[in-house]
Amino acid sequence: MLELKNIKKIFNIGTPDETVLFDHFDFTMREGDFVSIIGSNGSGKTTLLNLICGSAYPDEGAVLFKGRDITRLSEYKRARYIGRVFQDPKAGTCSDLTILENMALADHKHGRYGLGVGVNRRHIDRYRSLLETCDMGLENRMNVKVGSLSGGQRQALALVIANMSDIELLILDEHTAALDPRSGEIIMHLTEKLVRQRNLTTLMVTHNLRYALAYGERLVMMHEGTIILDKNGEEKRRTKMDDLLDTFNEISIERGN
Amino acid sequence: MLSFFSSCSVFLEDGFMYAILAMGYYVSYTILDFPDLTVEGTVLSGGVTYAMLARAGISPWIAILAALFAGAFFGAITGILHVKLHIRPLLCGILVSTALISVNLVVSVLVMGGNIRGEDALTTIPVGRAVPTILNTYPARWLPNDIGGFHVRKIVAFFAVALLFKILLDLFLKTKAGLLLRAVGSNQQFVSMLAQNPGVSKIIGLALGNGFAAVSGALIVQSRGNANQGMGLGMIVIGLASLIIGVSILKNVRRIKPSTMVIIGSVIYQACLAAAAMLGVPTAYNKLIMAVLFTTALVFSDRIKHQKGKDAHA
Repeated sequence: MLELKNIKKIFNIGTPDETVLFDHFDFTMREGDFVSIIGSNGSGKTTLLNLICGSAYPDEGAVLFKGRDITRLSEYKRARYIGRVFQDPKAGTCSDLTILENMALADHKHGRYGLGVGVNRRHIDRYRSLLETCDMGLENRMNVKVGSLSGGQRQALALVIANMSDIELLILDEHTAALDPRSGEIIMHLTEKLVRQRNLTTLMVTHNLRYALAYGERLVMMHEGTIILDKNGEEKRRTKMDDLLDTFNEISIERGN
Repeated sequence: MLSFFSSCSVFLEDGFMYAILAMGYYVSYTILDFPDLTVEGTVLSGGVTYAMLARAGISPWIAILAALFAGAFFGAITGILHVKLHIRPLLCGILVSTALISVNLVVSVLVMGGNIRGEDALTTIPVGRAVPTILNTYPARWLPNDIGGFHVRKIVAFFAVALLFKILLDLFLKTKAGLLLRAVGSNQQFVSMLAQNPGVSKIIGLALGNGFAAVSGALIVQSRGNANQGMGLGMIVIGLASLIIGVSILKNVRRIKPSTMVIIGSVIYQACLAAAAMLGVPTAYNKLIMAVLFTTALVFSDRIKHQKGKDAHA
């Protein structure tokens, strides 16, 4: 479904700080996959997501989505079929708009944003039932500005919003990292519920090794722009936290710190 | 006492007249967070467009509509410079308003039948009694012109135009395009995630803001009786100050629309200027008073605190 072929990505080209992150990098995802990516800082996780979502373009190589070359397609055009939830709970919603207005906007993703009525009252019941799946009482606060919600509530709303239109790929960019442990737990449960409901293809970057092990059927570990561990299905289920920690330590020793 | 009434009359007229400009600023500055300097040029463009068409005998309402489109066109250019060429907001406004100095001047000279190369070409377009304005045509003509020094007709007519544009703005902000515009100012990334080009909404917002500014310009010409090249000076401060005064004074009032706050802010701002004049401050100090008022409003406005908060998070 998603294919990154022979990717090269260089930062600060032509300066003394020039760094080659990806060189001949390949990555493939099948339809219906739930892939978790872990890795140390600077391993290229976020850059990988940026290349997929179109927030950054590769210097060489191609990005294919369902066989179609989207390497140079702009971010907003890819958003038709790719949904993304960011680490920052503020990024996925609009603070100055109410919950209802946020949802009404997101609900219309595939249409034209013309002079029609912005918030269609007929859809409110559907929005309410979507909010009920979050189990946070958001359904009773639909006319409240999103800016006044807590981080966990905003992230739940961002998840629901990303899933409202029929996206084909969901990108989770460390979406629990800015939350307290309890909210993080709740958001991960909600994530799984939403993903399972539609059997949505999902790519999750996380710093939480436990989440990476507990959720999804494929686990990828990245280091300095390469994939150093890629476990799928049964193989992944047999992987233990200690194995991951050992691998992490090996990397650190190699780097000399 | 008569002078008190006529002063009240003047600040109400001017308040409603500039309220439309301030509502435009609400769109560009508050919603889009874009400090738009283009208005210095587009206010005059609106005035010139109106004067040109009205002198040709065209209905003043159609001339005002044409002014709206002229302003929107130049506002869209500012937007395109910013979105497509990635020029900073302040510079975009400076570029377009500078270019408009020439455009407005050339059009004015041509309207007056002069030669652009001529040394003594006329640059001020008079709008005499024979030229149709919204004040000397129906429906405003049914109203008495003046009651005890109170310019009833002018106040009602300008209030009606301000109200009309307020209603149009409120309606627009409730549409899908309007919601999207508000979303662009709040979180551009969110709009990208909705598979929409945030740049398009920005351009629409700037077109709207400058269209409104141009309508103000058309009213100013009808009120003053001519379109002169110096008309646009100080419009940024008038628009912004009215907006910020209105929003900071009325922010705690429940269920009040921002457009209403802005109209009230505009009237309060003009009232302060009128009060200064009544206290005997010479008009030469007007711009100084404007700047002081504006600074005071800024200090008390939420906006500054809000931005401090933003920086702290970044």
